[in-house]
Amino acid sequence: MSKKKYAVAIRDVIAEEMRSDERVFVMGEDIGALGGVFGCTRGLQKEFGTLRVLDTPISESGFVGIGIGAALTGMRPVIDFMYLDFVYVAMDQLLNQAAKLRYMYGGRASLPLVIRGQQGVGRGNAGTHSQSIEAFFTHIPGFKVVMPSNAYDAAGLLRTAIRENNPVMFIEHKALYIQTEEVPDDPDFMIPFGQAAVKRSGSDATIVATSLMVSRALEAAERLAEEGIEVEVIDPRTLIPFDIDTVITSVKKTGRALVVHEAHKNNGPGSEIASQIMEKGFRYLDAPVARLGAKACTLPFSLVLENAVVPSVEDIIQSVHEICYH
Amino acid sequence: MAVDVIMPKQGLQMTEGTIISWMASEGDSVQEGDPLFEIETDKLTIEIGAPATGVLLKILSQEGDVVPITERIAVIGEQGEDISELIAQQQSGPEQDQPTEPEHTEGPKTVQPAGEPAEQVATGGSSRYASPRARWKAEELGIDVSSIQGTGPDALVIEQDVLQYAQQAPKATPLAKRLMQQSNTDMDSVQGTGPRGKIYSRDLVSAEPVQPAAAQPEDTIGKLSGMRKTIAARMRESLDTAAQAVHRVDVDMYEAVRLRKRLKAAEIAVSFNDIIVMAVAKSLRKHPNMNSAFTDDGIITYGSVHVGVAVALDEGLLVPVLRNADSMSLHDIHQETRRLGEAARSGTLLPDEMTGGTFSVSNLGMFGIDSFTAIINSPESGILAIGAIVEKPVVIDGEITVRPICQLSLTYDHRLVDGAPAALFLQEIKKMLSNPYLLL
Repeated sequence: MSKKKYAVAIRDVIAEEMRSDERVFVMGEDIGALGGVFGCTRGLQKEFGTLRVLDTPISESGFVGIGIGAALTGMRPVIDFMYLDFVYVAMDQLLNQAAKLRYMYGGRASLPLVIRGQQGVGRGNAGTHSQSIEAFFTHIPGFKVVMPSNAYDAAGLLRTAIRENNPVMFIEHKALYIQTEEVPDDPDFMIPFGQAAVKRSGSDATIVATSLMVSRALEAAERLAEEGIEVEVIDPRTLIPFDIDTVITSVKKTGRALVVHEAHKNNGPGSEIASQIMEKGFRYLDAPVARLGAKACTLPFSLVLENAVVPSVEDIIQSVHEICYH
Repeated sequence: MAVDVIMPKQGLQMTEGTIISWMASEGDSVQEGDPLFEIETDKLTIEIGAPATGVLLKILSQEGDVVPITERIAVIGEQGEDISELIAQQQSGPEQDQPTEPEHTEGPKTVQPAGEPAEQVATGGSSRYASPRARWKAEELGIDVSSIQGTGPDALVIEQDVLQYAQQAPKATPLAKRLMQQSNTDMDSVQGTGPRGKIYSRDLVSAEPVQPAAAQPEDTIGKLSGMRKTIAARMRESLDTAAQAVHRVDVDMYEAVRLRKRLKAAEIAVSFNDIIVMAVAKSLRKHPNMNSAFTDDGIITYGSVHVGVAVALDEGLLVPVLRNADSMSLHDIHQETRRLGEAARSGTLLPDEMTGGTFSVSNLGMFGIDSFTAIINSPESGILAIGAIVEKPVVIDGEITVRPICQLSLTYDHRLVDGAPAALFLQEIKKMLSNPYLLL
């Protein structure tokens, strides 16, 4: 085990996979000479050269297209998005091509393509640099959608993503890059997709939280415990595939559920999770499933307003009170 | 003349009631019909009027007491009336036939179970709504959720209310408790039929004359054997993948019967099954399209003819394979079929002897089955189901005559073979069986 920052854990897994598999290469804006805006590719070009660590023009649609072609012909590209908000520039390549090619080829082609980058709030980057994009990729079938909430999961899930033969949307969070945790040194350390982590055990209510919201849910749980409300916190880690079984097992115990994410609440991934809880665990519920997500407005530039738009620890505590009829 | 005030029966299901309050004290004058006391049952809370006009001479059951229905709880009479005799009757009156026990001298109060809290007084009516979880828990505990007062929003019954209710629910009604005391019955030996196994007096009545229910065999569930699992999976897989269609034909076995008799006379034992297997093998050689398998990569046409012969065991079905059956003599087929059948029954069949078939036959003639549809032994192209040989009237050359007839049913995979070529194959078998000398 080594203590690592989230961003360093990402870089190390990419480097290790590039060393062990020459088909792995990375592509993106300012990732070579600069090493990435957040340092996730720092030093890679020095070790692997400009052919395997490619600085691209500002042309997302173009370099995603190159990645798809490379993946179809046997390479294992890892495409870096400086901000995941920019996937909207490349939506045709991502959702009309990458998501569908394996199906279009009758399952006879594989598409080992990883799209990774950071999203979310925390730096006051405003409307086009602070969004959460997962809902688009959980809606259209074809991508596996991964959202690590800590350095340990980031390392284990990224290695699984690079070795996966289907396209993976690997969603990091800008506010988590400095999160530090013990990460296994094992060069084959992998966390399988579709396996949720129970971050905290409790008997009174279940919180399903993703990415940055996992730490907020845990903080809320600590404060609720002081009042005698024991909350179970589950991090699904991957939205596609989604480990509903772990969630239902928890809801069977607690009878109450709250889903928290940073993406907009309206038509967000929490709507799907809440529906599945009601479909598969209706009889266990003592209260309607609650949802928390960003308000239906553009992410503001002002940090004060930004904080007001996305769920806070206080919002989570209040919501748990509501489902517990306090 | 003194009048008894009794615990009234409010509704068919009521066996007892809790006295919540008295609206008059001993010595007060009461009017018939005026509210005298309030009771609570497991369904409702209700005020009960005085049964007569007079003076409330004696209150026998206090607030909080749980009293069986029809039990006297108070006496109304004239001022100064002596009711000591009446009250003394209380001890033995209702149960004169029963041996009097000391506890009874205290009157109905003894029905209040010692150490158990009185039923909680509901603050209002029961709730109309319960959360799914509350319903689930109530169902598990055998509690009627509609009898619970909810504490959730809009009086929603939630899990906590059910659990609390369950904790308070007494395990037996006072009447049942007293009956058990009288008959020295151990509470644990009685199966209650009420919520959460609460014991009612009727449970004791039904428990007394021991009438064991007519022994009805219970449903059982047996563990799946490995063989059963394999058969189940293979049958399902066969029906899920192959497009199975069936042709049937009657075959005149007259000559086959004669052939078998002659061979028998020469002390060469063969069965009809052997003759049919031989006809199938030879026909497969002539119709290679039936000696094939369907795969996504294309149709495999086998170079060899290996015929599987279904063998029924007690545990299930096995299909040992006659290799290169088309080049075997009738005698060889007979010997090999017998050897494989015995090996199957003794469990010594080798895995190789059960695999690699290209076509199968299944015979239920020995059970008198006229005709049946067999399921293809995947990935083979077909299976021939052989019925019993039965003497039937047939018309030959314009005359009715009796002939031994055997019905053959060919199940074939329509993905591989269409109806017409499958018919030609079955026709070939029929031809060979009608004139078995063609086989030799």
